[in-house]
Amino acid sequence: MPRLMDLGMDRLQNMLLEMGKLSEQTVATAIEAYHMGKNLQDVNRWSINLKQLDDQVSELSIELIARFQPVASDLRYIKACMEISYGFYRYGRYAHDIMEVLETFGDLTKCDRAVVETTAEKTKEMIELSVEAFANKDVDLAMKIVSMDDDVDDAYRGYIAVLMKSRKVDLRCALSQTLILRYLERIADHAVYIGKSVYFIVKGEEPAFEEKS
Amino acid sequence: MTIEMQKGREDEAMKEGLTVSTDVRTVTFGSKMKTRGLRAWFGKSEVIKGIDLDIPEKCVTAIMGPSGCGKTTFIRCLNRIHELTPGAKVQGEVMLDDENIYGPKVDAVAVRRKIGMVFQKPNPFPTMSIYDNVAAGLKLNGVKDKKLLDEVVERSLKMGFLWEEVKNDLRKPGAALSGGQQQRLCIARAIAVQPEVLLMDEPASALDPTATAKIEEAMVQLKKQYTIVIVTHNMQQAARVADYTAFFYLGELVEFGETAPLFENPQKELTERYITGKFG
Repeated sequence: MPRLMDLGMDRLQNMLLEMGKLSEQTVATAIEAYHMGKNLQDVNRWSINLKQLDDQVSELSIELIARFQPVASDLRYIKACMEISYGFYRYGRYAHDIMEVLETFGDLTKCDRAVVETTAEKTKEMIELSVEAFANKDVDLAMKIVSMDDDVDDAYRGYIAVLMKSRKVDLRCALSQTLILRYLERIADHAVYIGKSVYFIVKGEEPAFEEKS
Repeated sequence: MTIEMQKGREDEAMKEGLTVSTDVRTVTFGSKMKTRGLRAWFGKSEVIKGIDLDIPEKCVTAIMGPSGCGKTTFIRCLNRIHELTPGAKVQGEVMLDDENIYGPKVDAVAVRRKIGMVFQKPNPFPTMSIYDNVAAGLKLNGVKDKKLLDEVVERSLKMGFLWEEVKNDLRKPGAALSGGQQQRLCIARAIAVQPEVLLMDEPASALDPTATAKIEEAMVQLKKQYTIVIVTHNMQQAARVADYTAFFYLGELVEFGETAPLFENPQKELTERYITGKFG
């Protein structure tokens, strides 16, 4: 027989799955907009939706804690859900920031976009894995996300290092791509946090790895 | 427990070289009581099946588990009350400091004086006043000094968080108090004889939330001076007041450890299922 609390827990799970899909779609669309060189307004709307869903997840989580005083795996799950929800919301927020870059700098299709495109693909994969890891409570996928983070960090830092050494730079391309790489790097960090939360749900402890600053 | 308190307790225990290994967690502290191979029966029915447990000094240790798991019998073995039941039997050791309370030369009455008990249902002496309820133990031990009795009654009622409510009505019958007040009177009565350990068998199970909160506040204060063992069905109560928690099932100790980690991340599947309500 299901427990009363399970109704709320199922609802929490469904809200997060919805957020996961929406955040995946939001970032993918922002990256597509970058490829196509045009602003796609849906991203901003979805980003706001993600914020609202994050607020709803917080409210439901607090309600479950107040009403059922969960412990053990239930408590860990709720705690992790609040963190994962925040991660999904941040995906949306950084997608929104990418759109702002496109709005501010205009058409970037003439810039050399190789680094951004490669990094964006990597980041998208990390997001997909984070959503899947949560949906299936898959620790192996969670750990795979962690192992991918260095590539994104290196791309961001490497790009800045190249810019610092360059004598001639196209300021518009350099600034816009630095910002976008920074947002992708932050998205990747949130994917790692989500992976860690999935690990915490399953194992009851934080994974034993040091995250790079 | 604050980190400093925990650290202090660990340092103290390290000096004494006390490390208790349960099968699931290693806990280090100074023990006030220890059970070794403790078994108990009602007739032929074995209800406690060989429990080794170290009870930390000046801490609250909660014993929890489903009905029939032996938690009440266990604490009744800790002050030799179990043996008063016809057909009941106890085997194994219960050490209070370094003395086995079941040793051949040990006086059971003296044991019960050192290890006081508060029961599930408040049981003040019905014909006695509030004052006499608290002073009864001392009077039985021959204390006649009125000033001393007054001091002990006041101190005990203060420690039981009852003094402010009854200080002007000490001659009223104890039975005239509310249920929650009666239970705090019983706590005051138990501590008036200066026990070393206080056993509490579901002391708040029949009380409303306000009365329960007062009992819990009293426990937190009392552990500064006494070692407390509480049996409770209420997991939230264990989580609120206990420094350590033991989970019993079918007369066996399943898991024992510091309360917070035990409730956040129990190491045994049985504990997990019980505290999350997925039992049965």
